[in-house]
Amino acid sequence: MTNRSIQLQLGIGACIAAVFLVLAAIPTWVSAPSNVSNIILSPLFWPYTLGTITALVGLALIAAGFREPETDEPLNEPIEDPQNAWLRLVGAAIIMVATMLLLPRLGMVWTCMLCFVAMAFLYRTRHPVAAVICAVIVPLVLYAFFAHVAGVAIPQGHFVRLP
Amino acid sequence: MSFTDSLMAGLSVVGHIEAFLALAVGVAIGVIGGAIPGMSATMAVALTLPFTFSMQPITGILLLLGVYKGGIFGGSIPAILIKTPGTPASSATILDGYPMAEKGEAGRALGMALWASCTADVISNLSLIVFAGWLASFALSFGPPEFFTLILFSLTIIAGVSGDSLLRGALSAMLGLLLATVGLDLVYGTNRFTFGDPNLMGGLNFIAVLIGLFAIPEVLAMAWHPTAHLGKARSLGNEWVTFADYRRCFKSIVRGSLIGVFMGSIPGIGAAPSAFLSYSEARRNSPNKLNFGKGEVEGVAASEAGNNGVAGATLIPLLALGVPGDVITAIIIGAFMIHGLQPGPMMFVLNVDIIYGLFIGLIVSSIFLFFIGSAAIRGFKYVADIPKRILMPAVLVLCIYGVYAVNNNIFDVGVMFVMGWVGYFMMRYHIPAAPFLIAFILGPLLEDNFRQAMLMSGSNWTILFRGPITWFFWAATALTVIAIVRLAMSNTRNRRLVGNAGDDS
Repeated sequence: MTNRSIQLQLGIGACIAAVFLVLAAIPTWVSAPSNVSNIILSPLFWPYTLGTITALVGLALIAAGFREPETDEPLNEPIEDPQNAWLRLVGAAIIMVATMLLLPRLGMVWTCMLCFVAMAFLYRTRHPVAAVICAVIVPLVLYAFFAHVAGVAIPQGHFVRLP
Repeated sequence: MSFTDSLMAGLSVVGHIEAFLALAVGVAIGVIGGAIPGMSATMAVALTLPFTFSMQPITGILLLLGVYKGGIFGGSIPAILIKTPGTPASSATILDGYPMAEKGEAGRALGMALWASCTADVISNLSLIVFAGWLASFALSFGPPEFFTLILFSLTIIAGVSGDSLLRGALSAMLGLLLATVGLDLVYGTNRFTFGDPNLMGGLNFIAVLIGLFAIPEVLAMAWHPTAHLGKARSLGNEWVTFADYRRCFKSIVRGSLIGVFMGSIPGIGAAPSAFLSYSEARRNSPNKLNFGKGEVEGVAASEAGNNGVAGATLIPLLALGVPGDVITAIIIGAFMIHGLQPGPMMFVLNVDIIYGLFIGLIVSSIFLFFIGSAAIRGFKYVADIPKRILMPAVLVLCIYGVYAVNNNIFDVGVMFVMGWVGYFMMRYHIPAAPFLIAFILGPLLEDNFRQAMLMSGSNWTILFRGPITWFFWAATALTVIAIVRLAMSNTRNRRLVGNAGDDS
């Protein structure tokens, strides 16, 4: 992506988001008491103001994109295997969703151990043994600190409970 | 009582080993607490508070002040080494600290952070002692219209941290302001973008947003390109900060310290906006302004001076008026009350020995910070030697624990993950994250003070121009906006000239 295409894409995205906010999101998800006489004091005033300014910033980005000189120079560093990179990103998303689902069931320590190992192997680590050792030690040390020093009630899960 | 008598009375209460030991232990706890992402100086102070109950008042309060001071500096260590601010105050340190670590100059960045922190700390403490009464009376005359204009002026900081594109910075700020509206309405208590979920009624957790925006995108960028870091130096490096570096940055350090003193003396502003304003001013005035954001040591110095300059100054409203300047001083005021002390004007009459004892302790804390901070840098340097493909999963796990610990809420971990993806998208599209964060912090304050001013005046706009303080901030905002627009236009013109020259050749 060049600087010009980024400016244009962001500008169009900001305008669409602003239209969605003003026409759909704010009327649906922002509630205001019916007896507010002055719009300035209404809970709707600030979101509508921000939605309008977002649209103006979007239009300015589009204008700036058109004024930007044409170049072929990409802004992001090129990558050798874009298909695998996308797969790894999907993998990271799956790990995060799985972490959220497992946290209340397995508990924070065991979930974090699995999360650590999964991320390290997703990164294709050159130190697999060290990664597994760290995956066990780091969550345990953090558990000891947060649970026993800071007094935080770390989720324990339904299966194996730690002292 | 003369100044000498007051000083002697102060010495009599702190002139024993327990007081100084408590201060040193406090600084050490603070540095460690601040250096653990998600723990924060606030949490460290809150955790230390119960240990002070059985101590002498001055010893317990000095312990807490040591934790506070150490925590603010400690936050810069992970900000520089792993791009994860240990405290919100060190968010601005990332902008140049992390690029320096990437270049193999982490030692130099950490050294400058320490030197700037200690200098700012001394200036802030001296300001507290000299200007306490005057600055407190000035801040006392601030009402909602004055706060509104001050925060509006503070939002112009965004221009200084927007990087290459002012418009992309503005878009980032709009996103931050919009997300800050999530939760119950400040005046009427009605729902705004809560989708019926009670977890969203209090708004998005600031720490979850902060860590999600700064740390998780690095974890995701590693998944996109796991070998991108190979061949790039990421150790402390052999280069250490020199006196020549310090002399070159001295002006920015003093300027940042004074910004910190001013911002800190006004309740509710906090260290993060001060750090960003100091950074922005240093960038505007520096001959190396083009190097800012790419690993400029002056950027680290300015950010750290800005956030440490606040530490002493937040005690000005606390001691002189009994008004806490930020969350941490609100916890510390609890320690005063537990020991039967009531901060405020009467404390300068009834407990002058404790006031001057605190002043002496604060001056000594800067010296402790220098030595304990140096040791901490050497201890934490090993973080830089850990293979990045093991460090990043460890950072992720640390973020999960840290974000959960703030409110004991798994929902916050989810907010952090979502904000991480937003941050990664912003990174790919070269949208700077710092304006988002500043807007997210200042957004609720801006709206709250605006609506309070309107309520006070019956929706009469003229209240926003009611006196010299508001006029001053309106003029400062207008001048800054004109300067920003002129600079942006000249940058665009230069880019187009360079582009045309490239086409011709």
